[in-house]
Amino acid sequence: MKRTPAALLLLALWIGGLAAAGAFAQRHLGVSSDLRLFLPAPATAEQRLLLEGLGEGPAARVLVVALEGAPPEALADASRAIVARLAGDDAFLFVANGELELDAFPDALLPYRYLLSPTFDRRPLDADALTAALAARARDLASPVGAFLEPWVARDPTLEIATVLERWQPTVEPRRELDVWFDRAGERALLLAETRAPAFAPDDQRAALAKLTAALAEAGVDGARMTVSGAGRFSVLMEERTRAEAQRLGLAASAAMLLLLLVAYRGIAGVVLSALPLVSAGLAGLAAVGVLFGSVHGITLAFGFTLIGVAQDYPLHLLSHRRPDREPHAVARALWPTLATGVASTCIAYLTFLFSGVAGLEQLACFTVAGLAVASLTSRYLLPALMSRASRDFGASAPLGRLATAIAKLPNVAWAGAALATVGAAIVALAPQPLWSNDLAGLTPVPADLLAADAALRTELGTADLRYMLAVEAVEDEEALAHLERLTPELDELVRRGAIGGYDHAARYLPSAATQRARQARLPDERSLRAALDAAAAATPFRAAAFEPFVADLKRARELPPLTAEPVRAAGLGARIDMLLRGADGERTALVTFSGVHDLKALGELAASSGIVLLDLKQAAESLVARQRARILASLAAAAVLLAAVVTFALRRRDRVLRVLAPMAVTTLVVVAALQALGISLTLFHLISLILVAGLGLDYALFFEHAAEDPAEQRRTLHAVVVCSLSTFFVFALLATSSLPVLRAIGLPVAIGVVGNFVLALLLTRARAPSR
Amino acid sequence: MSARYAVLIAAVGLSASLGASAAPDPESLIAALAREAPAAVEFVEARFSSLLREPLVVAGELRYGEPGDLERRVMQPYREVAAIRGGAVRVERDGEAPRSFSLKRAPELAQFLAAFGALLAGDAAALEKSFVVTATGQDAAWTLVLEPRDDRGRRRLGAIEVRGSGSDALCIAMRDERDGGSVLLIGTAAATPIAPDATLDTVLARCPAE
Repeated sequence: MKRTPAALLLLALWIGGLAAAGAFAQRHLGVSSDLRLFLPAPATAEQRLLLEGLGEGPAARVLVVALEGAPPEALADASRAIVARLAGDDAFLFVANGELELDAFPDALLPYRYLLSPTFDRRPLDADALTAALAARARDLASPVGAFLEPWVARDPTLEIATVLERWQPTVEPRRELDVWFDRAGERALLLAETRAPAFAPDDQRAALAKLTAALAEAGVDGARMTVSGAGRFSVLMEERTRAEAQRLGLAASAAMLLLLLVAYRGIAGVVLSALPLVSAGLAGLAAVGVLFGSVHGITLAFGFTLIGVAQDYPLHLLSHRRPDREPHAVARALWPTLATGVASTCIAYLTFLFSGVAGLEQLACFTVAGLAVASLTSRYLLPALMSRASRDFGASAPLGRLATAIAKLPNVAWAGAALATVGAAIVALAPQPLWSNDLAGLTPVPADLLAADAALRTELGTADLRYMLAVEAVEDEEALAHLERLTPELDELVRRGAIGGYDHAARYLPSAATQRARQARLPDERSLRAALDAAAAATPFRAAAFEPFVADLKRARELPPLTAEPVRAAGLGARIDMLLRGADGERTALVTFSGVHDLKALGELAASSGIVLLDLKQAAESLVARQRARILASLAAAAVLLAAVVTFALRRRDRVLRVLAPMAVTTLVVVAALQALGISLTLFHLISLILVAGLGLDYALFFEHAAEDPAEQRRTLHAVVVCSLSTFFVFALLATSSLPVLRAIGLPVAIGVVGNFVLALLLTRARAPSR
Repeated sequence: MSARYAVLIAAVGLSASLGASAAPDPESLIAALAREAPAAVEFVEARFSSLLREPLVVAGELRYGEPGDLERRVMQPYREVAAIRGGAVRVERDGEAPRSFSLKRAPELAQFLAAFGALLAGDAAALEKSFVVTATGQDAAWTLVLEPRDDRGRRRLGAIEVRGSGSDALCIAMRDERDGGSVLLIGTAAATPIAPDATLDTVLARCPAE
């Protein structure tokens, strides 16, 4: 390291600049974790529904809460206490535990109960109906139930409030104990909570989760434990886990790198000099993404920083190629053509991602190109100014010389590449599992057992499956609701036959205006009502005069305008209405969701005969993944062609070009074969890693090819590539041990690829005649 | 002379009746009420309400076992079983689906259960914990008034009045805030017929029957 004042000043300025940029980035750059950034834009209605469901949709915002660890009465108390505590909280749109408190019926909808209830669709509200109702109420009054029914009897003797409340419960009701929902075994109390924040806003979700735990603590039930499950909870969990892992791995990787560099370059100067371009590259990448996109996705960050594993090669090459008889500037100048070719081709390969149509990949392209460019330019122009002439020449190192001779003695194994390629292709063709993973779940880092537990809880609670749905298209709400009402009897028939477990649609909460008006017309007028009441009261111990509130309510019900979606939404049912009845003006879609589809064929027949569409969201997800993959593969093919073109342009001679491209191509095949042999189906992240592998392979091959003639250069290149590949291998092998599927998908291919690239670059880039 | 004797006899008679009318001690009274569990007793319940023009009268059997375990079997004029067990109430009526709910939703019932259970066990201390106990009357016809200590209970539920004779509790009356309430006639009191024009007070006044 040079100690002139100019060099020290440059060093100080550089470090200062990096620190300032780092502080700026920390303060201003937001990190997002919205997985949809890595999915292409939806093309069909199904795909749109799926993506909405993934993040913003009401279903994604519903958390399932399970309470356990105490006797059922205590758990039921805790359940009630939590609902009481959080009902008005603005972090939640609703919190439900199955309680059917008559008092909880929204006041605004109370007068509408005779329009919402289907009780009098088949039997009129006449003297017989009233007599039966009053007789039942009399018995209720004389029984323990009477205690809380009594306030309502005068106003609602037929208890339409209870009927409407029951209709608003899921058609597949979970087990009820002590008035609240319990799981099938009766051991855990279950609640549903819908957050206002979308699933992928981890900070807001964390706040909501904190409120839930606080409410449980306030309930003061000893030993009660709370388990929360749902997309929001998972995003918080994954964010914490990703951060913890990233820190752990980052620390381990840094320590390994430090050790390696100290050993390789025998001094702290080597560490500092190789760190400077690396950190600059990272910050340049962050800055570029920040300026162009505003925030950076967590996965881009992870990818981006590992990508810098390529960038660190540049200062390492410079350090390894120093010699006592040359100025560092001259060394850099001599290396530059090879370096630039490597940088240019890798950048061009990543630039193709800008056309992939996937926001996350565009960020990645931006990060990588900016980072690599800065790393190479600072290595070329700034780093030599800080370096003094080398005191040792790796070209003269004896151990390296022995290694180089041993390698030269290896038989010419040009055919080895072809052999490996054949074996690799065979493995890929014969592997039992599919080459491509179509599962969207493969992209999410949430462990499978958490997802399974969540699915089990949701099944118990009768919440919608979200796999199959019927979609009814209409111009406006009224038309959609009327269509749904026509479907209802057939859906009920399907439930009765066991073809479906249960269903839900908007008309269960909001009847069409036509139905409401029909019900209004069927309500008795005041005179007939009073006559019927008198008859019923005479047959029971009630006083007819006690039911004035009932008469008044019915009078109001006859005069009300039909209920529309707005008041229902405002009364707290908004979440369900919004999910089931959506779309822009003039293009409304009403959904029928199911909980438990046992006979898909019957459902398909119903859809066909009614002229509506049966959606399969799982299929939509798979088609989304397949479409994305097609685009990525196209990008990769374009990248491969461009890479070859750049290399050809730089090297000019056909046999040189082949020697450089062959290791890269064969290694790619070897990596895919190795992954297949390990039983892994490829996902998007494996594909992206393959480009990184190609970039590394190209670097090694170019440098080996460049040094082919001069033995001293060969030894220096050997030193450089050994250090580079070891450091890259350490970093990515560490990633391959991560518990997060995404990090594993980045680490494993690259770790395998580094080894393959190193070996194949060594073997295949030698000129036909071994060097003397 | 006869006037003096008359006064003496009157004085003796007065003191005798005074001695007999000394207010009974709540603790010993309650202790005497203790019954062995499990046991069953016949009951008649009259429910009064401003909605009703005549009281609702049901008759049946009360079975009690462990503390907090009570079964109310209605046999006339219809059949219904209400079982209170483990903090949950389960009501099953002939021809209808059973309903169950938590005792917390029916504070009147919880209060009744607390009082009835303590009386059955003869546990005055337990009773004192939840209620302010006042005893009046004589051994042959006493009244226990239980006022809930809980503020909310006092406001909404009112006091429980227990009337009995000797070591038998015969009538339990609970009033609600709406001029209604119910009277539970147990054992021998259950035989007394209830007229359609009866009110809570008139039924209670006839208890214990002479």
